[in-house]
Amino acid sequence: MNNIDKYSKAFIKTFSIDKTKLKNLKYQSIPQWDSVGHMSMISALEDNFKITLEMDDIIDFSSFEKGKKILKKYKVKI
Amino acid sequence: MKKRSLNSLELLDYQPNRYPFLMIDYVTSVIPGKEANGYKNFTNNEWFFPIHFPGHPNVPGALQLEALAQMLTVAITTLPGNKGKATHALSHTVRFRREILPGEKLSIETKVISWKRGICKGIGKGFVSEELACEAEMTITIPEILDQYIPKKK
Repeated sequence: MNNIDKYSKAFIKTFSIDKTKLKNLKYQSIPQWDSVGHMSMISALEDNFKITLEMDDIIDFSSFEKGKKILKKYKVKI
Repeated sequence: MKKRSLNSLELLDYQPNRYPFLMIDYVTSVIPGKEANGYKNFTNNEWFFPIHFPGHPNVPGALQLEALAQMLTVAITTLPGNKGKATHALSHTVRFRREILPGEKLSIETKVISWKRGICKGIGKGFVSEELACEAEMTITIPEILDQYIPKKK
Protein backbone atom coordinates (compact mmCIF):
# COMPACT_ATOMS: atom_id res chain seq x y z
CA MET A 1 0.00 0.00 0.00
CA ASN A 2 1.49 3.39 -0.98
CA ASN A 3 1.46 6.48 1.22
CA ILE A 4 -1.61 8.16 -0.28
CA ASP A 5 -3.59 4.97 0.22
CA LYS A 6 -2.38 4.67 3.81
CA TYR A 7 -3.18 8.33 4.40
CA SER A 8 -6.63 8.10 2.83
CA LYS A 9 -7.44 4.90 4.68
CA ALA A 10 -7.03 6.64 8.04
CA PHE A 11 -9.82 9.07 7.09
CA ILE A 12 -12.06 6.59 5.32
CA LYS A 13 -11.92 4.09 8.15
CA THR A 14 -12.11 6.54 11.05
CA PHE A 15 -14.97 8.59 9.63
CA SER A 16 -16.72 5.85 7.62
CA ILE A 17 -16.80 7.98 4.49
CA ASP A 18 -16.37 7.44 0.78
CA LYS A 19 -13.09 8.22 -0.97
CA THR A 20 -14.82 10.88 -3.10
CA LYS A 21 -15.39 13.03 0.02
CA LEU A 22 -11.72 13.31 0.94
CA LYS A 23 -10.58 16.20 -1.26
CA ASN A 24 -12.58 18.94 0.52
CA LEU A 25 -12.70 17.32 3.92
CA LYS A 26 -12.14 19.74 6.80
CA TYR A 27 -12.37 19.61 10.60
CA GLN A 28 -16.05 19.73 11.59
CA SER A 29 -17.18 19.65 7.93
CA ILE A 30 -18.83 16.31 8.74
CA PRO A 31 -20.30 15.20 12.09
CA GLN A 32 -17.76 12.39 12.42
CA TRP A 33 -14.79 14.77 12.37
CA ASP A 34 -15.38 16.25 15.78
CA SER A 35 -12.87 16.53 18.63
CA VAL A 36 -13.00 12.82 19.40
CA GLY A 37 -12.92 11.86 15.72
CA HIS A 38 -9.90 14.13 15.34
CA MET A 39 -7.95 12.18 17.95
CA SER A 40 -8.99 8.85 16.44
CA MET A 41 -7.88 9.94 12.98
CA ILE A 42 -4.55 11.26 14.30
CA SER A 43 -3.96 7.97 16.13
CA ALA A 44 -4.76 6.03 12.95
CA LEU A 45 -2.21 8.09 11.00
CA GLU A 46 0.39 7.59 13.71
CA ASP A 47 -0.19 3.85 13.59
CA ASN A 48 -0.18 3.69 9.78
CA PHE A 49 3.07 5.65 9.43
CA LYS A 50 4.67 4.75 12.77
CA ILE A 51 5.16 8.39 13.74
CA THR A 52 4.18 10.58 16.70
CA LEU A 53 2.75 13.97 15.88
CA GLU A 54 3.66 17.00 17.96
CA MET A 55 0.92 18.93 19.73
CA ASP A 56 1.14 21.99 17.44
CA ASP A 57 0.82 19.80 14.35
CA ILE A 58 -2.25 18.05 15.77
CA ILE A 59 -3.86 21.44 16.31
CA ASP A 60 -2.90 22.65 12.81
CA PHE A 61 -4.21 19.48 11.19
CA SER A 62 -7.45 21.11 10.07
CA SER A 63 -8.12 19.47 6.71
CA PHE A 64 -7.30 16.49 4.53
CA GLU A 65 -5.05 18.65 2.33
CA LYS A 66 -3.35 20.45 5.23
CA GLY A 67 -2.48 17.12 6.76
CA LYS A 68 -0.45 16.16 3.71
CA LYS A 69 1.81 19.18 4.24
CA ILE A 70 2.14 18.47 7.96
CA LEU A 71 3.22 14.88 7.38
CA LYS A 72 6.10 16.10 5.20
CA LYS A 73 7.72 17.26 8.45
CA TYR A 74 7.76 13.62 9.51
CA LYS A 75 9.37 12.51 6.25
CA VAL A 76 6.11 11.10 4.96
CA LYS A 77 5.65 12.15 1.35
CA ILE A 78 2.10 11.96 0.02
CA MET B 1 3.35 3.64 38.77
CA LYS B 2 2.90 2.48 42.33
CA LYS B 3 -0.25 0.60 43.39
CA ARG B 4 -2.31 2.22 46.11
CA SER B 5 -5.80 2.11 47.64
CA LEU B 6 -8.31 4.89 48.28
CA ASN B 7 -10.81 4.76 51.12
CA SER B 8 -14.27 6.29 50.89
CA LEU B 9 -13.00 9.75 51.77
CA GLU B 10 -9.79 9.69 49.77
CA LEU B 11 -11.54 8.64 46.57
CA LEU B 12 -13.56 11.87 46.64
CA ASP B 13 -10.40 13.69 45.55
CA TYR B 14 -10.32 11.65 42.34
CA GLN B 15 -14.00 11.15 41.61
CA PRO B 16 -16.22 14.24 41.32
CA ASN B 17 -19.58 12.48 41.73
CA ARG B 18 -21.33 12.79 45.07
CA TYR B 19 -24.32 11.23 46.83
CA PRO B 20 -26.73 10.14 45.49
CA PHE B 21 -24.75 9.57 42.32
CA LEU B 22 -21.45 8.33 43.71
CA MET B 23 -21.48 4.68 42.66
CA ILE B 24 -18.22 3.44 44.17
CA ASP B 25 -17.54 2.96 47.88
CA TYR B 26 -13.90 1.97 48.02
CA VAL B 27 -10.94 1.64 45.66
CA THR B 28 -9.04 -1.40 46.89
CA SER B 29 -6.23 -0.96 44.37
CA VAL B 30 -5.36 1.52 41.68
CA ILE B 31 -2.34 1.65 39.40
CA PRO B 32 -2.59 5.09 37.77
CA GLY B 33 -2.98 4.86 34.02
CA LYS B 34 -3.39 1.07 34.16
CA GLU B 35 -6.26 -0.20 36.32
CA ALA B 36 -8.60 0.50 39.20
CA ASN B 37 -10.49 -2.02 41.29
CA GLY B 38 -12.89 -1.76 44.18
CA TYR B 39 -16.49 -2.18 45.17
CA LYS B 40 -19.93 -0.74 45.78
CA ASN B 41 -22.23 -2.10 48.47
CA PHE B 42 -25.90 -1.84 47.56
CA THR B 43 -27.78 -1.76 50.83
CA ASN B 44 -31.52 -1.62 51.34
CA ASN B 45 -31.11 2.09 51.97
CA GLU B 46 -30.24 2.96 48.37
CA TRP B 47 -32.48 5.76 47.08
CA PHE B 48 -33.53 3.90 43.95
CA PHE B 49 -34.71 0.60 45.41
CA PRO B 50 -38.18 1.86 46.45
CA ILE B 51 -38.82 3.03 42.88
CA HIS B 52 -36.85 0.47 40.84
CA PHE B 53 -39.06 -1.41 41.27
CA PRO B 54 -41.78 -1.54 43.96
CA GLY B 55 -41.95 -5.16 45.05
CA HIS B 56 -38.92 -6.17 43.00
CA PRO B 57 -35.99 -3.92 43.91
CA ASN B 58 -32.81 -4.25 41.82
CA VAL B 59 -29.96 -2.00 40.74
CA PRO B 60 -30.75 -0.06 37.54
CA GLY B 61 -28.50 -1.01 34.66
CA ALA B 62 -27.59 2.61 34.06
CA LEU B 63 -26.18 2.82 37.57
CA GLN B 64 -24.22 -0.43 37.17
CA LEU B 65 -22.61 1.09 34.09
CA GLU B 66 -22.01 4.31 36.01
CA ALA B 67 -20.20 2.32 38.72
CA LEU B 68 -17.88 0.78 36.12
CA ALA B 69 -17.25 4.16 34.50
CA GLN B 70 -16.57 5.89 37.82
CA MET B 71 -14.00 3.26 38.71
CA LEU B 72 -12.28 3.57 35.33
CA THR B 73 -12.19 7.32 35.85
CA VAL B 74 -10.13 6.83 39.01
CA ALA B 75 -7.48 5.00 36.99
CA ILE B 76 -7.02 8.20 34.99
CA THR B 77 -7.60 10.95 37.54
CA THR B 78 -4.89 9.45 39.77
CA LEU B 79 -2.31 10.16 37.06
CA PRO B 80 -0.05 13.13 37.85
CA GLY B 81 -1.78 16.41 36.97
CA ASN B 82 -5.27 14.93 36.58
CA LYS B 83 -6.48 15.12 40.18
CA GLY B 84 -9.77 16.98 40.44
CA LYS B 85 -10.28 17.26 36.69
CA ALA B 86 -13.80 16.75 35.33
CA THR B 87 -14.43 13.72 33.13
CA HIS B 88 -17.14 13.02 30.56
CA ALA B 89 -18.41 9.83 28.97
CA LEU B 90 -17.96 9.54 25.21
CA SER B 91 -19.29 6.10 24.42
CA HIS B 92 -20.10 2.95 26.35
CA THR B 93 -21.12 -0.52 25.25
CA VAL B 94 -22.50 -2.54 28.11
CA ARG B 95 -23.81 -6.04 28.70
CA PHE B 96 -25.81 -6.99 31.79
CA ARG B 97 -25.59 -10.58 32.99
CA ARG B 98 -27.64 -10.77 36.18
CA GLU B 99 -29.75 -8.69 38.51
CA ILE B 100 -28.11 -7.05 41.48
CA LEU B 101 -30.35 -7.14 44.53
CA PRO B 102 -30.46 -5.21 47.82
CA GLY B 103 -27.71 -6.35 50.16
CA GLU B 104 -25.36 -7.47 47.41
CA LYS B 105 -21.83 -6.20 46.85
CA LEU B 106 -20.64 -5.29 43.37
CA SER B 107 -16.91 -5.93 42.97
CA ILE B 108 -15.53 -3.82 40.14
CA GLU B 109 -12.46 -4.39 37.99
CA THR B 110 -11.44 -1.89 35.33
CA LYS B 111 -8.47 -1.72 32.99
CA VAL B 112 -7.19 1.09 30.80
CA ILE B 113 -6.67 -0.04 27.22
CA SER B 114 -5.32 3.31 26.06
CA TRP B 115 -4.88 6.81 27.44
CA LYS B 116 -3.83 9.44 24.97
CA ARG B 117 -4.45 13.18 24.64
CA GLY B 118 -7.37 13.27 27.01
CA ILE B 119 -9.17 10.17 25.78
CA CYS B 120 -9.29 6.93 27.74
CA LYS B 121 -10.51 3.63 26.34
CA GLY B 122 -11.05 0.92 28.87
CA ILE B 123 -13.00 -2.12 29.96
CA GLY B 124 -14.81 -2.87 33.16
CA LYS B 125 -16.39 -5.89 34.80
CA GLY B 126 -18.69 -6.10 37.79
CA PHE B 127 -19.02 -9.25 39.87
CA VAL B 128 -21.47 -10.31 42.56
CA SER B 129 -20.16 -13.22 44.65
CA GLU B 130 -17.62 -13.89 41.87
CA GLU B 131 -20.42 -14.16 39.30
CA LEU B 132 -20.17 -11.75 36.37
CA ALA B 133 -23.01 -9.25 36.65
CA CYS B 134 -22.12 -6.62 34.06
CA GLU B 135 -19.32 -5.70 31.70
CA ALA B 136 -18.61 -2.73 29.49
CA GLU B 137 -16.26 -1.20 26.95
CA MET B 138 -15.98 2.47 27.78
CA THR B 139 -14.50 5.63 26.34
CA ILE B 140 -14.18 8.60 28.65
CA THR B 141 -12.49 11.95 28.30
CA ILE B 142 -11.00 14.74 30.30
CA PRO B 143 -12.26 17.66 28.16
CA GLU B 144 -9.72 20.07 29.60
CA ILE B 145 -6.92 17.96 28.08
CA LEU B 146 -8.71 16.96 24.88
CA ASP B 147 -9.50 20.60 24.05
CA GLN B 148 -5.79 21.43 23.95
CA TYR B 149 -5.37 19.25 20.85
CA ILE B 150 -8.28 20.18 18.63
CA PRO B 151 -7.98 22.59 15.66
CA LYS B 152 -8.91 26.13 16.59
CA LYS B 153 -11.66 27.96 14.76
CA LYS B 154 -10.31 30.86 12.69
